Amino acid sequence: MQLLDRSFDVSTVPVAGATLSAEALRGVEQFLYREARLLDERRFAEWLALWTEDGRYWVPRFHDQANPFEQISLFWEDKMLREVRVRRVENARNWSQQPLTRSAHLVGNITIEGLDAAGHLIVRSTLQLTEWRIEQRQLAGAVFHKLAATDDGGWKIVLKRVNLVNCDDVFANLEVFI
Amino acid sequence: MTLSNEALAAMVRPDSVHKHVYTDPEIFALEMERIYGQAWIYVGHESQVKKTGDYHTTRIGDQDVIMVRAADGKVHVVYNRCPHKGAKVVPEGDGCTGKFFRCPYHAWTFKLDGSHLSLPLKNGLEGTCYDPANPDFSMKAVARVDSYRGFVFASQSAAGPDLKTFLGGVASSIDNLCERSPVGEVEVAGGTFRVMQKSNWKVFYENLHDTMHARVTHESSFVAAREEAKEIGEMPFELLIMDGNGEPYEFWEKLELRAYHNGHGYMEGIFDPTAATRDPVSRDHFAVLTEAYGEEKARQIMGMNRHNTIIYGSGSPHTVFQQFRVIRPVSVDRTMIEIQTFRLKGAPDAVFDRALTYANLINSPSSNVMPDDVEVYKRCQEGNQTRGGDWVSLHRYLGTDQETPDGMVSTNGTSELPMRNQFAAWKQYMLNPPTQATPNQTASTEAGHAAA
Repeated sequence: MQLLDRSFDVSTVPVAGATLSAEALRGVEQFLYREARLLDERRFAEWLALWTEDGRYWVPRFHDQANPFEQISLFWEDKMLREVRVRRVENARNWSQQPLTRSAHLVGNITIEGLDAAGHLIVRSTLQLTEWRIEQRQLAGAVFHKLAATDDGGWKIVLKRVNLVNCDDVFANLEVFI
Repeated sequence: MTLSNEALAAMVRPDSVHKHVYTDPEIFALEMERIYGQAWIYVGHESQVKKTGDYHTTRIGDQDVIMVRAADGKVHVVYNRCPHKGAKVVPEGDGCTGKFFRCPYHAWTFKLDGSHLSLPLKNGLEGTCYDPANPDFSMKAVARVDSYRGFVFASQSAAGPDLKTFLGGVASSIDNLCERSPVGEVEVAGGTFRVMQKSNWKVFYENLHDTMHARVTHESSFVAAREEAKEIGEMPFELLIMDGNGEPYEFWEKLELRAYHNGHGYMEGIFDPTAATRDPVSRDHFAVLTEAYGEEKARQIMGMNRHNTIIYGSGSPHTVFQQFRVIRPVSVDRTMIEIQTFRLKGAPDAVFDRALTYANLINSPSSNVMPDDVEVYKRCQEGNQTRGGDWVSLHRYLGTDQETPDGMVSTNGTSELPMRNQFAAWKQYMLNPPTQATPNQTASTEAGHAAA
C-alpha cells in the first residue's frame, strides 16, 4: 500500500539551499497560481495531471505533525485516492455536492525554502481559502509544495502539505481538495 | 412548559415516530435531562489519562465534564465548574493539571476527585459557612463512574442499574475489541477527529444499522471506488472499504441485526471463519492471537465479524477496524461526532496501520463516504420542519423480529428493528425521569422491546 510507504520523504525542511533566477521564480509562482485556479474552476482532470506518479497530498490533523503514519490526517492521499475523490465529486449522484462546493484560493507570501534530500524544490506559501456550499467557510494555512522539475522546464507536485491554522478543530465535511 | 408523559408516549408508535422528536428544542432539553441525565454515557478511555493529573474534557449530554486520573490511580469524572464563580476550571481538550486543579480566576484549588483543597486568604471567609468538607466548596463529581475493560462511563443519576447490567449483551462488542489484542488491552492512539453534523443525534444512531440506505446514499463513493478499481486492475483495501456499500439488496437482507435492552445492538452477527486468514495483515494478527489464546479461540475472536455496534447514548464502536464514533448531541439540530482509533496492545504494527487508514478514509472529515450520509441527515432535519406530514416510518419487517433471552434479533437484515428498539428505550427513559437518591429506581433496565 503506497499510503503506508514510510520511505516517502514528507519532510519540508530543506537540506540544501536553492537559488532561482527571477524568471524561474516567476515560473514557480505561476505554477502555484495555476494549481489554485484549476481547483477553483473544478478542472480536476487538469489538476490531477500536475502531480508526479507517486505524489502525495497531505493535510495534517496536528500542528507540527511529524508524519502521516503514526497519527491520523485530515487528508493523506496518493494518486489513486485523489482520483477516487474526483470521481466521487463528479458522480451524478453525489448528494452532498448538490449544490457544488465553490472556492476561491488566494495564494501569497511565496518563498523558496530550499531543496530536499532528493533535490526537489521546497516552496512555502500562505493560503486564504473561501469555500461556499450553502454557507461560507474560511480556511487558512501555510502550504508547502515539493516540486520536481520536468524535462520541458515545468514542475510537477511531489508533495503538497497544507498546515491549516485550525487543523485540530471540529470540521464539517471537507469534500474537495484544499 | 413541560410536555406531559401522555404527549411523549404518543410520539412513539410501534411502527413510527412523530417528527417532533427530531425537531422540538423542548424535547431535546428533556432528552438531556431524562436520557443523558441517567444513562451510562461513555466519557473516554482510561488510556487517555495515563498519569496522575492527566485529564480529558468531554460532554455528557449538555454537561461539560472532566475525566481525570487521581494519585491513587482511580479515574474520576467531575463537572467542569469551579464552585466559586462557576468558571470552567480547565480548558477544552487534553492536558495534565498536576497534583490538583487550580481555577484560573481566583486560585481556588481542588484535589483530583474534585474535593476542596484550599483558597487564598481564608481569613476572609471566617464567620461564614466555609468548610473544606462542605460540598458547596468543591467541584461536583458526576454521580456514578465505572469502567468496563478500560472504557470509562459515567451516569448523572445516583440510582439505576450498574454499568454491566446497563450494557447487557452489547458488552460482547467491547470484549471482542479488547480480545483482538493478545494481552486483552487497547489504547486510544493516533488522535481523534471531530466532525459536525447538522442533524439531530438520533438520526445518526438510526442510520448506523440502516442497511437499506447503503447502496442508495453511497452511490457516488462506491461507484467511484469501483471505477478506480477497474482502471487500475485491482481492488486494494482503500477501495474495498468504499466498495462494500454497493452490495445488492440480497446481501443486506442476509445480515443479522441484534437488538439489546436500552437501545443497544450491533449489525451482522454471522460468524466468518475465513476472517482470520483472508489477507496478510489478518494472517499475522491471527498468528499472534493463536500464540496468546490458542487456535480455536483466536479463530473465534477474528471471526466475530461485527460492523457497527451501538451503545445507545454513547456511540458506535467498530471492533474489526478498532474505531469508536462517539456521538455528542450539541443542540436539537447539531451533533458532534468524535472518532477515536484504538491500538491493540501487542498486535502487529500493521493492524494499527490498517485502523489508521480506515479512520482517515471512512471517518475523517475528508471521508468520501460520510458526506452523503451527513447530507441526507440534514435533509431529514429540514424536511421534518415542513408541514408535509407528521410521522417517520419504521415499518420494515415489523412483527417479524424474534425474541432472544437478552433482546431481539431480525429475521431479515433490512428490518427496522434497530430503530424500533432505540425508540423503545427512548420512550422508557422519557417517561421515567431520573429521580435523585431513590435506591430502588431501575427505570432504564427494562427498556422493553415489547413496549414498541
